[in-house]
Amino acid sequence: MYTLLSGLWKYLFQKEEYFVLILGLDNAGKTTYLEQTKTKFHRNYQGMNFSKITSTVGLNIGKIDIGNIRLNFWDLGGQEELQSLWDKYYAESHAVIYIVDTSDRERIEESKIAFDKMVKNDSLNGVPLLLLGNKQDLQGCISVGSMKEIFTPVPDVIGVRDCNVLGASALKGDGVMEGIHWLVDGIKRNSISRPPTQKEIT
Amino acid sequence: MFISVTCSLFSGGFLSYFSGFFGNKERRILILGLDGAGKTTILYRLQVGEVVTTIPTIGFNVETVAYKNLKFQVWDLGGQTSIRPYWRCYYSNTDAIIYVVDSMDRDRIGISKQELVSMLEEDELKKAILVVFANKQDIEGAMTVSEVTSALGLTALKNRKYQIFKTSAIKGEGLDEAMEWLSNTVLQPK
Repeated sequence: MYTLLSGLWKYLFQKEEYFVLILGLDNAGKTTYLEQTKTKFHRNYQGMNFSKITSTVGLNIGKIDIGNIRLNFWDLGGQEELQSLWDKYYAESHAVIYIVDTSDRERIEESKIAFDKMVKNDSLNGVPLLLLGNKQDLQGCISVGSMKEIFTPVPDVIGVRDCNVLGASALKGDGVMEGIHWLVDGIKRNSISRPPTQKEIT
Repeated sequence: MFISVTCSLFSGGFLSYFSGFFGNKERRILILGLDGAGKTTILYRLQVGEVVTTIPTIGFNVETVAYKNLKFQVWDLGGQTSIRPYWRCYYSNTDAIIYVVDSMDRDRIGISKQELVSMLEEDELKKAILVVFANKQDIEGAMTVSEVTSALGLTALKNRKYQIFKTSAIKGEGLDEAMEWLSNTVLQPK
């Protein structure tokens, strides 16, 4: 009887907590993406004016609830110097969203190098990865197809994990919902090897 | 005992309660950090835009700083070892903490970290925004942003938004960006 009741209690009130890391070069649109995600998944959320978003040197956080799943986001600074801090978060992350500015052709190679380094890190083994080609609303941007070709890693580097490439415009809000829903499915599939952080929510 | 008595005197809760009725609420900011980090210089740079001659602060300085259409009540608390225990008297109703680090003082960055960590454990500061000023960046050989982040253990903060600014209070660099960021951020829902 107790198990039944406590099970019901957990079903109703307990959320499975997962942590999602948002990475990418500076000016890729990570903070805008996070704000847009919060706006899409919270009713009445008055987000920050996108034009007021400046370069992150530190950490932005956010959380959204989807069913009994709670996603906590960590949005880190992307400047070269700050990339050395990314791996401090890997062991506790359940998924990674890597954002690329597809309108910045000059820095695509730099972005690829940072991406490769991140993917190769052992602490992220098997973690679902969403590669997001941002700023698809701008003219002259690299198509999602070409970006996929540039970023497609060698299979033995990427390892066994859920991987997806999507186009998006964080500013306009296009492609944000799809990505998050895909990510949730991947996180659930991977939850045997990366279990959620359980938390009572009262 | 003494601490708790002084706390109720300085908390400022009474005043901020009333100002809430008149719309434009003043935001409350604390400037904290070890002695000699440059807190007082920063406060007066923000307020009058000049470098003033300072002596080590025993007690506190408080000024109202207007930035764009926001008003900040900024408290600069003394940073010496013997008076750090009194910081907690000022924690209630704090919207943001400016934590100032002397980027040249590698010897004491560990102590600075300990003070920061124990401060952030306080319940009253759970919702306060953290801004770190890596100060004295005008001096060559100052610690970089990533060095300061690691030395202060900021990567262990997983539930709090924070931002670091490289500043030079003497030269007035980095302060405008920081105030701009702060004024945008305090208006955001938490």
